[in-house]
Amino acid sequence: MQARTQTLWQRILGIDRRWLYLILFVNIVTFLVAPIRMPASVSPPVQKFHDEIEKLQPGDLVMISSNWSASTLAENQPQLEAVITHLMRKQARFTIISIEAQSRDISYRLAERVTKEKGYQYGEQWAHFGFVPNLIVAIKGMVTDLPGTIKQDVRGTEVSKLPVVQGVKSLSDYKMVIDVTPSGTVPIWISYSPKNVSILYCPTSVMAAEAYTYLDSGQIKGMITGAKGAQEYEQLLTVVGLGTRFMNAISFSHVLIIVFILLGNFAMFMNRLQQRREG
Amino acid sequence: MDWLLEFLPRNLDRLSVWIGVLCTLAIYSLLYRENPVYRFFEHMYIGLAAGYSLGPLGVDILYRYWIEPIWIQGYWAWAFVVPYGMYLYFIFSERYGWISRIVIGTLIGASAGLFFQEFSSRYLPQLNSTLQKPLWVSDANPDMTYGMMINNILFVVILLSVLTYFTFSYEQRGPVKRVAIWGRWFLMIGLGAIFGNTVMARMALLIGRIYYLLNDWLMIRVGGG
Repeated sequence: MQARTQTLWQRILGIDRRWLYLILFVNIVTFLVAPIRMPASVSPPVQKFHDEIEKLQPGDLVMISSNWSASTLAENQPQLEAVITHLMRKQARFTIISIEAQSRDISYRLAERVTKEKGYQYGEQWAHFGFVPNLIVAIKGMVTDLPGTIKQDVRGTEVSKLPVVQGVKSLSDYKMVIDVTPSGTVPIWISYSPKNVSILYCPTSVMAAEAYTYLDSGQIKGMITGAKGAQEYEQLLTVVGLGTRFMNAISFSHVLIIVFILLGNFAMFMNRLQQRREG
Repeated sequence: MDWLLEFLPRNLDRLSVWIGVLCTLAIYSLLYRENPVYRFFEHMYIGLAAGYSLGPLGVDILYRYWIEPIWIQGYWAWAFVVPYGMYLYFIFSERYGWISRIVIGTLIGASAGLFFQEFSSRYLPQLNSTLQKPLWVSDANPDMTYGMMINNILFVVILLSVLTYFTFSYEQRGPVKRVAIWGRWFLMIGLGAIFGNTVMARMALLIGRIYYLLNDWLMIRVGGG
């Protein structure tokens, strides 16, 4: 008995998914290595984020909440780098706090590298408060007594002896909180922070859609969404960081996925049509 | 030749990069098929992540907030805090399970108290912002454009239709049902946006790993950087 030959549509539907992975991999490598840069149009949340930091005066104090670990490094690292670069340009003082154990070391190393390049002094202009496991308890503690809640920085120095937070009694003495995170921590900052402190948000792309309600109501003043937002922010700062380097590959991998989806659906419809015709 | 010398694991920094590459490739080998190398590295990663957390928990939390206040500052009452928290583990005992309820009661009480503050700070400003949205251009709102007007009307229409969809107190019939169906469609569009962002996030994570392979391991300067 002669085996029935497959139609083109059936062959497309039967492609082994590993070929698609390979094509995606080649696509990403090509557009990572290619020396081309696509300009980004800056979205309003990123512009608002930038404008809010531009309002800072030299010496203003900013709290960065860095809660990401190795698993979301590709999205949160470019955000944190860009934010620290901008804060240093504005000569703002900043402190970092982590509610993720891995993030304590990752954010500390990153901030140390970026600040060293620009000659920012640890203890004088910035500090890392280490790891606290429960954000609600930490914020409520910092609102009433910041040095008593944090006690020591990541290097073991008493917080009350750090020049960067000299005279700071509570979180109300800060101008701004910037939450760089892959998890739902921004509602906690919104709920428990003092009302005079502006909140800015750097989520991973997955978390961004839910945050638009907070943007709309003014509870957060600006947002950098994932690596795409980081690229827009780097463009505003006129620096080339990881966001810019990743963006070609992200854009063209999206194009490829859209092509795959269209092709797969088209093949499915054509196959059904053919089967119906054949009865 | 110089490239090859730099490429090889000749010092600790390069060795750590090679180990990172080995881990990355082992984890991604799952894309080809399920295999024991992937399983080994998956378990190793979970074990490392869990073990790593113990260090910061011990140094930053237990020592800083419990041992130091008791031994150095003399706040002896803190000695009861950790044993009290550990009563929670009585939940595994049939005979003494009731003890764990004391801790659970404390936690529920604290959470309920905190929720009052959370509700007022988190949801009331959103309600306030929604109710204050101007729906037409007038002299009272000089900064308002027609684009903003359409945006605000859409916002209110979507909000009301989605709220209607989630009204389960009575049977939805007639016009209410039609509005609820619109609400469901708006929800689907919202979920589609979230899914699109999820794809972007996953792509970024993959690109981050490939960047590591190219930039850190093969030392190919990526994106003209």
